[in-house]
Amino acid sequence: MIELKNVTKRYDSLMAVDNVSFSVKTGEYFALLGPNGAGKTTIVKMLLDFTRPSSGSLSVRGIPSALAECRQSIGYLAENHHIPPSLSGWQYLLRCAELLDIRRSEAIDHCRHIVELIGMQGREDTKAGTYSKGMIQRFGLGAALMGDPKLLILDEPTSGLDPIGIREIRQLLESLKSQGMTIFLNSHLLSEVEKICDTAAIINRGKLLVKDAISAIVKDGETLEDVFVRLVKG
Amino acid sequence: METSKSLSPITRIIKYTLIDEVQQRSFVIMFVFCAICVFLIRGCYQGNYMVNGHSLDAGTVVRALSKMVFHIISAGVMVIAALLSMRIFRRDRNEGMQSCLLSKPIARWQYVMGKIIGLWVLSVLFMFILHSIVFLTASINLNVFMPEYLVASLLCSINLLFVIIAMLLLSLLMPDIVAFLCVLGVGIVGLVADGIAAASHSQIAQAIVPQSGGHPQSDWAWWKTVYFLWPKLSGVQQMASSLIESESFHGFASIYPFVNVLFYCLILGALLFKRFRNEDII
Repeated sequence: MIELKNVTKRYDSLMAVDNVSFSVKTGEYFALLGPNGAGKTTIVKMLLDFTRPSSGSLSVRGIPSALAECRQSIGYLAENHHIPPSLSGWQYLLRCAELLDIRRSEAIDHCRHIVELIGMQGREDTKAGTYSKGMIQRFGLGAALMGDPKLLILDEPTSGLDPIGIREIRQLLESLKSQGMTIFLNSHLLSEVEKICDTAAIINRGKLLVKDAISAIVKDGETLEDVFVRLVKG
Repeated sequence: METSKSLSPITRIIKYTLIDEVQQRSFVIMFVFCAICVFLIRGCYQGNYMVNGHSLDAGTVVRALSKMVFHIISAGVMVIAALLSMRIFRRDRNEGMQSCLLSKPIARWQYVMGKIIGLWVLSVLFMFILHSIVFLTASINLNVFMPEYLVASLLCSINLLFVIIAMLLLSLLMPDIVAFLCVLGVGIVGLVADGIAAASHSQIAQAIVPQSGGHPQSDWAWWKTVYFLWPKLSGVQQMASSLIESESFHGFASIYPFVNVLFYCLILGALLFKRFRNEDII
């Protein structure tokens, strides 16, 4: 589903991503882990063609990430998601549906279903300017789910959510995974990742430290947090 | 089939740009203020015009007056178009619309094209409505019909395209306010240069300035080249307003300002697409 080959991203003298290669299989629930500034978001941005790699190549379903059609099958939720304050959550979702060429009647049904899925019934017609961070994050997730994407890229999806919200989103993501969706997760919540992800990669200072199944990374008597700290510090 | 596939995201971005701009309170205030100001001049279109006891032809006076108002509106809307364009990328970025649009199967050139056309359509409509108020005032109050007034308005839309593209490009390279001042500067320098050029061709100037001049010939050639190549925004306005007085065009020199501005639109447009292609989306 996702393939990175010798990807490097340099910002002047700073090496944000240093010769990283890995792949994510279809249907996998994958987590990209690393401390702040490790290069996780840069990798996500390169997958979406928000920024270009200095060298190397990235592809999704065999399509180079630089091509717009590559994003036809991707749903994306940014870490600090924003919605124009003049739009309601409903209008925002409808726009996202329109941009995916979904017919109006289908789009309305789809939006209705998504509003239910993200638990925002009754709030969808209020302007986004009045939403809390958690509500914006939920509508952002709804927008990412628009058009039934094959790949969901989530950058800190639970940022700003309360514990109940985090649990609901986790359950939602698990149900999506069971439907065969590939999920690429950027997260700091190692306990959550350990519970739900199949595979993980840990990067630090742009370098890939490990990429394997969670069960292979975490040895007996250890937690993912222990492994993370050991790898990043040592 | 491929073309319609490429056009559909552009059409949607144009639609969103129009809706988002019209919903902005500052836009509504600007539009209402401008419309009221133009509407207030209706007093000038009433009664007879007398000079030294002689009655003047209403048509001639109305055309001269309308021409003046035409220039004020055209220049004013250029400033408004610059104000609208200077914040569009920043606002889209801050409100998350840029990342939302570009995370969908939309190419960057489609996004930029949608923004340019959306802003252009909005500015042209803005200017056309204001010019229409003048046209209707003259038609209703004095029975002077000037359909060429509206044609002239559409001709001036090329200036708005230039301002929008230049603003979008410069806003990617420098702070918005500096970009705005640069575009304003281009317009003002062009206007002043055109004024000086027109004055230098007057009989008085010809009589005062000796033909041989104090300046070396090479200096003049340099300035003439710069003047010739400078964006001819005021030249386009002059060309358009000549329609109002039913002046005919004489060869390439008459349409040169239009060609000049069109050329700049193409060059700046290409630079804008190239610059935005390499822009990091936040």
